[in-house]
Order: sequence, then C-alpha cells, then structure tokens
Amino acid sequence: MVKVYSMTSCPWCVKAKKYLESKGIEYQNLNIEEDEAARVACQQLSGDLMVPVITANDKDYVLGFDKAKIDTLLGIAG
Amino acid sequence: MSVYDFSAKNGKGEEISLADYKGKVLVIVNTASKCGFTPQYEELEELYKTYGERGFVILGFPCNQFAAQEPGTDEEVQTFCRLNYGVTFPVFAKGDVRGETAQPLFKYLTKEKGFKGFDESHPVAKPLMEALQKNFPEYLEGDSIKWNFTKFLIDREGNVVERFEPTTTPKAMAKAIEALL
Repeated sequence: MVKVYSMTSCPWCVKAKKYLESKGIEYQNLNIEEDEAARVACQQLSGDLMVPVITANDKDYVLGFDKAKIDTLLGIAG
Repeated sequence: MSVYDFSAKNGKGEEISLADYKGKVLVIVNTASKCGFTPQYEELEELYKTYGERGFVILGFPCNQFAAQEPGTDEEVQTFCRLNYGVTFPVFAKGDVRGETAQPLFKYLTKEKGFKGFDESHPVAKPLMEALQKNFPEYLEGDSIKWNFTKFLIDREGNVVERFEPTTTPKAMAKAIEALL
C-alpha cells in the first residue's frame, strides 16, 4: 500500500493526493500533525519533518509534489 | 500610542493585551502557517532561546494571506511544507496582516515603519519580487506587509524601532536585538 505522509493545511499534500487519485492509486493518508507514530515514521524515513512524503516500500520515497519523481517511484507510465 | 495599546487573540481564543509584554524587547512577526520561508521559524526559535532570559520575546502572528503562493528560489521551487514543531515562543490566532481586513496591530506597525525595499543579496529577493510583480502587483504598493516573515523590532518602551523584510534572516537581526537588551 502506498503511504502519503501529510499535514492538514499543506497545499502540496492535497495536490499529491489528488494526483494519486487521478492515477487510480490507492494510498494510506498519514497526518504527521495529528498522528505521533506517523510523525516518527516520517522522520525516520526522510530525516526531516517535511511533507508530502510518498513511499510504497517504506524505504524509497519522494519528498514534495514532484510528478516525474512520483511516476518513477510508483512505476506510473507517463 | 504604542504597541501596548493593542491586543490580539491567542491560540485558545483569549484576548491578550500586548501591555502584558511591557518592559520587554519584542519581535512581532507574521508567520506562514505551514509553508514557505520556514527555516526562519527555526532561526526565530534560536533567537528566542538565546535572548529570552534577558527579557526578549517573539510574538508570532500566523497569516494565510500569502499561503500556497510560494515564489521558490532560483534553485528549486518549493513543493513541500515543513511541520513547525518545537516553536516555544507565543503564537497568536490566525488573522490578516494586510489590506482592509488587517488586524489593527499590523495597521499600526506598518504605519510606524514603512517599506524600504528588500535586501537584494538574499537569494529569495529576486524570485519574491518577480512573483509579487506577476501575481500581486498591488502588494508592492505602499507600506503594507509584502510577504510572510516581516519582522518588527520593539524596544522596552513599546516603540517600533525597526522593520525587517522577509529577506532579512532572523540571525541577521541579532545585533539590533542585543542593542536594545
């Protein structure tokens, strides 16, 4: 399952999630403001508390709303 | 008239008079709630930790008027937000800082200290200026707040001593703050 680490009022998180939806990709939304476990996991993964962070395997991730990198990460055909 | 004549709501919705901060050196700053110029949060926190014991307080006023309109820098357009975790200085309720809906405190501050231009040596000065000219040319008119992290330095008597634009980092204000302590 694809995970999206996000915050409530982060416009880039909203864009990233809408983009995944437009590609028919299901994801788990993890709010690092509200969910402490998600905050810890996000920091361990990326080394910082910046979002959106998208990962499919809890190892490789994309920080920020970067369509090209998201496509590569998730193997979406352009 | 001084900043002590104004009040603002804190995060819990309680009305706080700025007279509560009489005798302290203050920095009043409009902050981005989540995005953009966020490293300034960390530097502000450092200043607060460094000078807090000597009677220095930072008052943060989150404002969404500039949200999600990031100019980015030359190297990268920022497409992420950072969780501002661990800010210990007082942060007030979200409110407007420019235009007719601006909080009275910010109308007063911008009247006391007008806009004198950006520090062009800061890497974000050029893209910020271009973004403003393109998207919000009216923001550039007059003495209004131009962007997130405009900082006003207040002395122990409540006088507005200096205005620092978003292009001045908090660290660069240390000398001016020390001079008032």
